[in-house]
Amino acid sequence: MEQIKAYKKIELLKILFVFFKMNLKSMLEYKFDRFFIALAIFVREMVSIVVMFLILTRFVTIGGWTMHEMFFLYSFLFLSYSIFVFFFTGIRDFDDMVYQGTLDRYLIRPLGLMFQVVAARVDFAAILGHGTVGILLFTYSCKAVGIVWDFKSVTYYISALIGGAIIQAALFMISSCFSFWTIRTVNLRNLIFFNCRRFAGYPISFYPGLVQKLLIFVVPFAFVSYFPAQYFIRKPDLDMFWNGYLYLTPLVGAAMFVLVYIFWRAGLKRYSSAGN
Amino acid sequence: MPIIEVSNLTKDYKLNVRKKGLLGSIQSLIIPEYKMKRAVEKISFTIEKGDMVGFIGPNGAGKSTTVKMLTGILTPTDGEINILGMSPSKQRKKIATKIGVVFGQRTQLWWDLPVSDTFDLLKSIYRISDSAYKKNMEMFNELLGLKEFITQPVRQLSLGQRMRADIAASLVHNPDIILFDEPTIGLDVIAKEKIREFIKVVNKEKNTTMLFTTHDMMDIEKTCKRMIIIDHGTIIYDGTVNEIKEKHGKKRTIVAEFAQNINNIILPEGVEITEEADNKKHMQFNRDEVQVSEVISYLTSKYNILDLTIKEPEIESIIREIYEGGIDYDKTVSGDSEEVISEQLGVSR
Repeated sequence: MEQIKAYKKIELLKILFVFFKMNLKSMLEYKFDRFFIALAIFVREMVSIVVMFLILTRFVTIGGWTMHEMFFLYSFLFLSYSIFVFFFTGIRDFDDMVYQGTLDRYLIRPLGLMFQVVAARVDFAAILGHGTVGILLFTYSCKAVGIVWDFKSVTYYISALIGGAIIQAALFMISSCFSFWTIRTVNLRNLIFFNCRRFAGYPISFYPGLVQKLLIFVVPFAFVSYFPAQYFIRKPDLDMFWNGYLYLTPLVGAAMFVLVYIFWRAGLKRYSSAGN
Repeated sequence: MPIIEVSNLTKDYKLNVRKKGLLGSIQSLIIPEYKMKRAVEKISFTIEKGDMVGFIGPNGAGKSTTVKMLTGILTPTDGEINILGMSPSKQRKKIATKIGVVFGQRTQLWWDLPVSDTFDLLKSIYRISDSAYKKNMEMFNELLGLKEFITQPVRQLSLGQRMRADIAASLVHNPDIILFDEPTIGLDVIAKEKIREFIKVVNKEKNTTMLFTTHDMMDIEKTCKRMIIIDHGTIIYDGTVNEIKEKHGKKRTIVAEFAQNINNIILPEGVEITEEADNKKHMQFNRDEVQVSEVISYLTSKYNILDLTIKEPEIESIIREIYEGGIDYDKTVSGDSEEVISEQLGVSR
């Protein structure tokens, strides 16, 4: 039996590119509709920001945080979510793939399953909607917050965004894994994910200890927004936490992803032994 | 050496037993109760290179489960599958380059994009060389008329066109084996015929091994010599289509239209009237007991007959009888002669 050649990196890149191109073309088929989805996301998110803006202009600060600092913190959530969707739409929509049988099709192709899941989908509307909010917040606040952009801070900033995106991908993947057991968790996931995300839009030092622990150890959104923002602005409430947390975002992301990937493999094994 | 070897293949499913009523639902949520269901039980068969085999059985018989095990999507509970010397569940990716799968009920084409885009994608996924790709596309254009609609978005295609494109998509990487899971479901007669013709040509030209699951017996009759019937997870028949017809299709029906209404018709022994309408009578008999020619000469000598047709049972009704347990195929003896019945006496069919 002749051996099949392993895919070269260039070949995989080409496949990624073809998938990406097809996603882009699909979107352009419905550019009008997709534009309004992006707009809807933008407006939905902007409403909470406008409310925050109105409150902050009246009371000046919340717990010592100025409006610009709050917005800077908030921008991490949107930018990292946008990056997450850019790379991992397939993970976000994974349960859909299981129920529609797309997964079976991927299983009869000579490529890795995770590769195909990640490559197959890109939701441009969500990237655009969340991304625009993130960029707006960032450009509005970053100067006032007073960041010195040097090599170190740029490296930190980028790795924090990517780490944050991976943390969110891992959270979505946990829920995806349950679809291998034919358990639908989309609504439970949305309940937990989006509410924790809302919490993480404010400095976690505002919250009672239990919520803080939840956001650090259980649904670690603190590493998506609070700690990366604190790295740059160093508000005194950081003293409540261990300083090392500031640097843990990429590590938390990587560790979560590895653990969840093991869970995912187990789910896949169970899927093929039990069927659907 | 056979290209597909399946021995004692068994597949169990774990089913969640749901109890009735709201209380029951809550109970099974907290303490789930499982029941094992055997979908496929110890089936064995071999398929040689270039064979076309029909795989039929009622809904829930275990056909799709078997196909999914052959592709490596599902892992067998017990037993072995050997495809080109490989085990599908262990060497899934390797086997994937050798197998093409058509799911009649699910498309692999991108819904919003022209058909050609999906083909481009498959070209890079399967690393098909430009020359092989071009050659295949030429064949698809010629035999499936792909060119007519290749630039149209898939959502605008008719079901027949979509199916043709889907079949071509599963063939584009020149697989050695193609598994069809209900490839003609929901298609009209012409579309079905086109697809069958294409499949036959591919089989002939490329010597591709093919396995079909279908509910349409015509698919089998027109394309396959061999068929495997599966029911309740076990194989109940494995042999040629002709053989099953010969073994079980012994009943013949003569439909005669008489010049006038005859009330007390006297028939030879073993011939029965099964249906009567106006001057038309359906007379049934067993081919082994009564000679067709005898019945015809008897009728024509005694009565004035305007029209006469001989019907042999359709494979479909034979299969139905097998499913229902009406025929115990092991006990019946095979027929003795091969008669070309419908040509006799030049009667209209």
